[in-house]
Amino acid sequence: MNQENLSRINSYLSFKLGEEEFAAHVGKVLNILEMTKITEVPKAPEYMKGVINLRGTVLPVIDTRIKFGMSPTVYTTNTCIIVLDIEMDGESIHVGALVDSVQAVLELDENTLLPAPSIGSKYKSEFIEGVANIDDRFIMILNMDSVFSSDELSSMKVKADETEKTSEIEEIG
Amino acid sequence: MDNFKKKFIEEATDLIEGLEKSLLALEENPDDPTLIQQVFRVMHTLKGNSGMFGFDLIDRFTHDLETVYDLIRNGSLRVNRQVLDVTLAAVDHLKLLLNEDNYSDKEFIHTHEQLTKRVASLIDGSHPAEQTSNAYRSNESAVGECTYYILFEPRKEIFANGTNPLYLIDEVASLGNSLVFAHVNRVPNLKDINPESCYTYWEIILVTKEGTNAINDVFIFVEDESSLDIQKLADLNLLEDPTFVAESKRIAAEKEDIGYNMLQSLAEKAIKQQQQKQADIIKREKITVKDTTISSIRVSSEKLDILMNLVSELVTTQARLSLFAEQNTIPGLTAIAENVQKLSRQLRDTAFSIVLIPIENMLTRFQRLVRDLSNELRKDVVFITEGSDTELDKTIIESLADPLMHILRNSLDHGIEDAEVRQKMGKPRQGKIILKAFYSGANVLIQVSDDGAGIDPELIREKAIAKGIITADRKLSHRETLDLVFLPGFSTAKKVTDVSGRGVGMDVVRRKIADIRGEVEIDSEKGVGTTITIKLPLTLSIIDGLLVKIDDTHYVVPLSAIDKIYAVPTKEIYEKYNNVVILDGRQVSFFNLREEFNVGNVDSEFMQVVVVNYEEKRVGLVVDHVVGEYQAVLKPLGKHYKSQEMVSGATILGDGTVALVVDTNKIIKQFANKEVKTSK
Repeated sequence: MNQENLSRINSYLSFKLGEEEFAAHVGKVLNILEMTKITEVPKAPEYMKGVINLRGTVLPVIDTRIKFGMSPTVYTTNTCIIVLDIEMDGESIHVGALVDSVQAVLELDENTLLPAPSIGSKYKSEFIEGVANIDDRFIMILNMDSVFSSDELSSMKVKADETEKTSEIEEIG
Repeated sequence: MDNFKKKFIEEATDLIEGLEKSLLALEENPDDPTLIQQVFRVMHTLKGNSGMFGFDLIDRFTHDLETVYDLIRNGSLRVNRQVLDVTLAAVDHLKLLLNEDNYSDKEFIHTHEQLTKRVASLIDGSHPAEQTSNAYRSNESAVGECTYYILFEPRKEIFANGTNPLYLIDEVASLGNSLVFAHVNRVPNLKDINPESCYTYWEIILVTKEGTNAINDVFIFVEDESSLDIQKLADLNLLEDPTFVAESKRIAAEKEDIGYNMLQSLAEKAIKQQQQKQADIIKREKITVKDTTISSIRVSSEKLDILMNLVSELVTTQARLSLFAEQNTIPGLTAIAENVQKLSRQLRDTAFSIVLIPIENMLTRFQRLVRDLSNELRKDVVFITEGSDTELDKTIIESLADPLMHILRNSLDHGIEDAEVRQKMGKPRQGKIILKAFYSGANVLIQVSDDGAGIDPELIREKAIAKGIITADRKLSHRETLDLVFLPGFSTAKKVTDVSGRGVGMDVVRRKIADIRGEVEIDSEKGVGTTITIKLPLTLSIIDGLLVKIDDTHYVVPLSAIDKIYAVPTKEIYEKYNNVVILDGRQVSFFNLREEFNVGNVDSEFMQVVVVNYEEKRVGLVVDHVVGEYQAVLKPLGKHYKSQEMVSGATILGDGTVALVVDTNKIIKQFANKEVKTSK
């Protein structure tokens, strides 16, 4: 399937970081791996967790929680690595995203997507393609290309307390 | 069709490159027939192919060129500077002709016409008379020549018929080349002579293409009045053999007649020699044929890349198999695992040797560059290459061409002085640039040295101070000063010339070489010359390494950098505040990788110190323990880790985990700098 066909599909993979729910277009997702041993690379930024062996190739793994300004991921049985195919400087590269848990594949009609909030958002709007409302749960649809190709952590959000987060989500709703 | 054209262009590009190489070699040895033959052959192939694929312009153009070299081959034209200049220009033009887009360019067509004229003038310049005489001679020495021995003894009464034996001799001589011995020993004393009798007899050595019949025909009317003996001496031209001729003359002078038997033995000797010579020629031809048609095939580099990847995968898988066999002691399995290991090692070596190509491939370009540039700059420079058969990964060679080109330009432009200046300094008028390539351990070193003006460290210093790169009170060693030229924005040339100093400086050279994991060093003495040394890894994708463990992560240290490994008590490492241990009675400063990588303290009693060479010093890297030797298939860490300099890549271990390949030089450099900074 080529990129064009892929983008016409309205399926999104949702995952959780802490209590917050996010989703990525399935066209970007190659694989979901169980947590395995990650080889740490010394002197790398904190969110760069390390590298793993993905069928013979070396895959860099990013701790999505740190990238999004949360505390580092605590490994549980639900912890997963989502292998993403992202575009970086015009090149397609593979990267693993560490998430707390993978939820479901959602069929979302593009028309039901709400625009990304521009004010009061704790996440930069360029990273969010839209917000989906499912049974009063708000799921942020992420633009994986821009999230994982930037090497700046600060571009994502200012550090905030866990308590603040929940309230803010309600505000968005 | 386009596909065929593409193939043709690809092939033609190769041919033209080879042509350029042969031409440059021809300049050195203008009379080498093999080289001339080579040039001619390439032209001929080019002509044939281009005609076949509809490149009519090339077809006609190479036709003229081919004619020139045909004339040279025949000896009616000599290789001289003019011929070579025109041919080299024509070769450049051929490269452009391959691109059909150029054809619409008016200027291009103009050059094309001019060059065609120049080539044509070369052909006209040769002398047609000489050409025909040559053609005649070469025809003559064609096949079918035999050497005959003729003994012609006319009877005394032969004159009675009105026959003049001398006419017969003349007629025989007209059949080919001949050597005639007239024997007059039977001529009696004057008082006994009957003037109507013939006393003389002749021995003739005749080389002719006509058979015995033709010779017999000459004597047909005197058969009854003479005794005739015609014998074949050899199937070749014995008169071309100087020893044979000299010997027979000598014998003829000493003795009265030579006789068939004597000549026969001489002939045999000559034949033997001739055969030997011919065998030599055939052998030589065989060798050259072998050289040119070296049973090679063209393979797209993509396929090679795939092969290399597969081999890398195989090596990784083999490592897993070995590990598995080790853990499960099944006798049969162990044997198989060992065999697979051996095979995959051989396969790896072979596969790697495929992508290794001799650096000779890029030297032609440089020879041409030096030739053209020295003309342009009016400097007399000889370019010598050594070790051109040194092999390197093709990707390395590709990325090496530009930096080397730059270095050579620098040497030619700034290094080598004008002939007058050189003479005044007591140097030979002709400048010398040597490009030397050789193996050194797991590295290949390429050295470019010139005997030019060298670099004035004072000048560099002044300039660095002026540009604010260093402060005026900073003290630098000779080497450190020279190293300044590698810094961005540094160019010592007083004026920017067309040749160098166009803003691309030595910093770009260093960066480009660093891209292929190489290092570049400069050494120079004012007035004596400059040497630039480039150190390169043999290949980019597999390295021999030492597997070490720090905490629960494996690291691979390239074996080439390692000097020695020591075990040191842990407390000695942690209780040292100056980070120096005594090993083998010598002080070695060390970096504890656990500390540097920010992992916790070790609990074992001993740690191991891997001593590596760093810029002529020995530096220890402290690790938990050494696991063993390991062949690491280098995998890139990806863009996300591009700023991570200490780790040059990763490799996958037998158990599937990832080990990091460290770059010891970068690690030490980074930590050493940090240390200096913190101590300030």
